Order: sequence, then structure tokens, then C-alpha cells
Amino acid sequence: MGGTTTAARPSSLGAAHGAGFGTTGMQRWLDRQFTRIAVLPTTAMMLLIFGVPLAFSFYLSFQGWSPDQALFAGTFAGTANFEDLLTDPQFLKSLSVTFVYTAITVTTELGCGLGIALLLNIDLPWIGLFRTALVVPMMITPIVAALCWKLLLDPDHGVVNYWIGSHIVWLGRPDTALLSVMVVNLWQNAPYVAVLLLAGLRSLPSEPVEAASIDGASRWQVFWHITLPLLRPYILVALLLRTIFEFRAFDNIYVMTSGGPANATMTLSMFTYLASFVRFDLSLGAAASWLMLLISLLLCLFFIAVIRRREAN
Amino acid sequence: MSALSGVGSRRSKLLFAGSVYLALIAMTVVFLFPLLWVVGLSLKTRLQVFANPPLFFWRPTLENYVGVLGQADFVQAFVNSLVVSAGAVILSICVGVPAAYAFARFPFRGGSFLFFSLLVMRMLPPIAVLVPMYILFSKFGLTTTRLSVVLAYSTFSLPLVVWIMRGFFEDLPRELEESAWVDGASRYAAFRHVVLPLIRPGLVAASILCLQLAWNDFLFAAVLTNNATRTLPVLMAGFSGGDTGVDWGGMTASGALVILPVLIFSFAAQRHLVAGLSSGAVKG
Repeated sequence: MGGTTTAARPSSLGAAHGAGFGTTGMQRWLDRQFTRIAVLPTTAMMLLIFGVPLAFSFYLSFQGWSPDQALFAGTFAGTANFEDLLTDPQFLKSLSVTFVYTAITVTTELGCGLGIALLLNIDLPWIGLFRTALVVPMMITPIVAALCWKLLLDPDHGVVNYWIGSHIVWLGRPDTALLSVMVVNLWQNAPYVAVLLLAGLRSLPSEPVEAASIDGASRWQVFWHITLPLLRPYILVALLLRTIFEFRAFDNIYVMTSGGPANATMTLSMFTYLASFVRFDLSLGAAASWLMLLISLLLCLFFIAVIRRREAN
Repeated sequence: MSALSGVGSRRSKLLFAGSVYLALIAMTVVFLFPLLWVVGLSLKTRLQVFANPPLFFWRPTLENYVGVLGQADFVQAFVNSLVVSAGAVILSICVGVPAAYAFARFPFRGGSFLFFSLLVMRMLPPIAVLVPMYILFSKFGLTTTRLSVVLAYSTFSLPLVVWIMRGFFEDLPRELEESAWVDGASRYAAFRHVVLPLIRPGLVAASILCLQLAWNDFLFAAVLTNNATRTLPVLMAGFSGGDTGVDWGGMTASGALVILPVLIFSFAAQRHLVAGLSSGAVKG
């Protein structure tokens, strides 16, 4: 890259902006402040849309407040909101649903994603076509993907029931509803893991695999003893990202079940959404969102620590 | 003997390639069938959609698409989606690119804290930011405006831009700006006239990836818009309300029109997909 771009250096720049000696003190001062000025808009933006809202919701989570009151007109409620949450069976259910949902979807996504990535990594003619086709599900709008599946799973006119020749109300039963939203999610995001892991596979050194093959190792032995250990950093990144994204599961659930039936698909995001924007209990919503923040922050820190330690070793 | 084993290994190679193709085709069918089936529904008449047994061969009709494109609601939502997605991209690029440059080139006190906060902003659940954001925006009269959605989208598009662009700036040889500085150019002039033109591919990649995320978002837009300012995903979610009497043809045609632009963006940015996907991952 360096060789081709050096030619682009405009030699007239110095003249256009006055030689270095001609610059005023003001300009030199501005130049020294370059870094500060460059990061100022980002910092301001982060405070505006991230820092201030989070500080406010922290404050609000200890208040009794209703939307018709002024911003700071609530009454101090201590930890009442949190106590309400932790004794609310729906919230406790949403905690367990979220953990089950996250654990199962992340595990299956990683398994399927790794399988797809390994297949797509084999050099054969036309493989590029498959690489392109298989990433389509992860690109499409999640709301539309969930609607597609809602039609496929329709009890009366859906093609799934037609094929299995029975009349299952997939989204109306607690057991099949959770399974259905997880399948939709797997369908959409296994390709995501596959793309990440395929990038990892492409960047692995080829010598260890070749050496092992020459030494007579089987494909399976090469995969298990060489490829998989080398791929571990990529698998960890995929694990981290998918955990973070599944923990916030909302779109597919909103469209397919809205948290029902009998709270079987009530994730934390769905619970917080319903509390805040359907029941308009915003101080309870603030408390729930702070609990979510803490859990996901802990998840992040845990994964970051794991990855750092792997890198150090 | 040796000839035989040669034949055998060639046969096993062919067998291997054949089974790989078989697996690939099976997988492609599994992953594309749901989408193709639904696009098929969008090309059926109302009677054909609900035919029992389902029709696998029929004469496609475009009547659903004509119907959808004639609906003022759909066109309005399409325009809204375009406006807020473009707004989010422009805002994040203008705000984030100088910061990404500073992160890549001029280590400063508090820099790593700021960068870490950006990653956290990308990783935390959006609903957690949305609850207080909704309250603050509504007290300042911003809710139901498209501006509020653009601002909300910065929570994911700003980190994405900074993350991707920092990588592009780091890959750029430092000598380029240094020689401009020596020639008397200010930091600002060197950034604008030397660095920016060279990272144009990066700007395109970051913009497309932001555009895709903004176009696909549902949660922020669902809370922060009304019937006049809602985006396409919000309009689409409205279809999931009633289950009987829903116009499957219209719904599937709308869905196809929603995902068509995003597929185009995505294939345009396919090379940069991985950088976008792993934005927010811990690295470097």
C-alpha cells in the first residue's frame, strides 16, 4: 500500500497553508489541540446519548416516578423498585428464560457455525457461490425474518405443518414457542458465526496442517489437534459477541410471541419493554434495565478476562 | 499395485468432493428455503397463497407488489427509513472519523478509557439505554421525530465507525502525514487533504455497515416514532398483530421490498463484513 500511495502526497500543501514559520501563535495552539478537538464531538455525543441517559436511569431506578411528572419530581423510593422486581414472578421467569435462551442459542450457533465454516473452507470450484448464498439470512432485517418464519409455522396454512402432516400450534404452546424462536434465531445467526470463523480459518498458517497430513494424520486428527486449538481465539470472539447479542434478544420474540404464551419466551429485553412502554412503569423499567446492564457488563468483563489470559499464555 | 492405489485415492478424493458438495447443497437449501418460499408467497394471488396443499408451481403475479407500492403508508415508511438511516450514517461518520484518526495516531490521556467506553456502548443491551432516552427525549419534545431515531442509532453506529476507521487509519503509513507536516501543513490540513482521500474505501465500508444496522433496527424506532415517522421494520411488525384475515401477499411483498436494499448494501460491503461483525470485540 505504501509504495503506491506516496505519490499522492501533494507537494503544494506547504505553500497553500503558509510556510511553517509564517503560522501565527493561534494556529500553532490549535495544532497542539488537534487530538482534543478531534475527539471532542465523539465525547460530547457519548455523554449526550449514553452517559446522561444511563445516569438518569440510575437515578430513576431509586425513585417512584410516573411519566406525567417533571423529570426530577419523583419521590425517593429506596430499593423498592429492585425489591418489586426480585419478587415479581414474571421478572424471575424472564431471568431464567433469558439465560436458557442465551445458553442454548449460543451453543447451537457455535456448533452449526463451525460446521458451516469448515465446509466453506474447503477449496473446491464454485465454493464462492455457497459462501455468498449462506450469509443471506444474517443480513436480512430480523423483523422480516421472524415474520417469514411466522408464516412458515402458521398452524393452518404454514408449510411446516403441511410437511409433517399435523396441526401443531407452534407459537401457542410454551414448549414449542421457545423452541421456535430459538430455531429462527439459529437460522439467522449461525451464518454470522460461520463468517467470523471462516475468516479465522483463512488466516491460519497452513504449515502445521500440511506437516500433520504428511505425517499421516487423518482429517479428523488434524481438525481436533491442530485446527481447533489454532482457531480458539476466533471461537472465543464469536462466543463473546453472540452471548452479548443473544442476551438482548427482542426482535424475533416481539414479532412471533411477544413474550407469551405463559411467559415462556419472556426475555429480559421483552420484560423491560413491556414494563416501560406498555405499562409505562418507567422507574421499574429503569431498575430492570440497570440489572440488565450489570449482568451484561459482568458477562463482557468475564469474556475479556478470559481472552486476555489466553493471549498472555 | 501402485497404479491401483492411485486410482483408489483419486476415487476417494472424488467421493470427498462429492459429499462436500452434497452437504453444501443441503445446507443452502435449509438456509435459503424459508426466504425463497416467502418470496414465492409474495408472487401468488390471495387464493394461491392459502391453497391446500400448498402450490409449488404457479404463474407468478406482481399484483401484491403493485398494491404495496401504491400504499401511502409503505412509501412514507420507506422514505422515513431512508432518511433516518442516512442521517445516522452521516452523523456517525462526521463525528466518529476524526476521533478514530486521533485514536489511531495520537495516543492521549484518557484515550483508552474513551475507546473502552465506546465498546461498552456497543455491547450493552439497547433497551437499557432506550428507557431513559425515551423519557429525556419526550421531556425535550424530541420523541416521534426522526431526529430522535438518528440520535438513538448513534449508540451503535458511532462505535462501529470509530472501530472500523481506526483500523483503516492504523494501516495507513505514517510517513504520508509526517511529510505534509514537514511541508508546513497543519494537522487539520494534513488530515483533510492527505489522509481523508486515502481512506475513502474505509469510509465506504463503514457507511454501508452502519446503513445496514440502521435499516434493520426495530427496537429504537418502535419506541421513538409514531405513525407518520415510523420506519419499515416498525410498519412490518404491525403485520404480526392479527393472525386471521392478514393479507399474506401484501405482507410478504412488503417484506421482500424491505430486505432488497439491505441485501444490495451487504453484498456491496461483503469484503468488509468481518470487520463490521467483530466491531466491539476485544482486540488490540
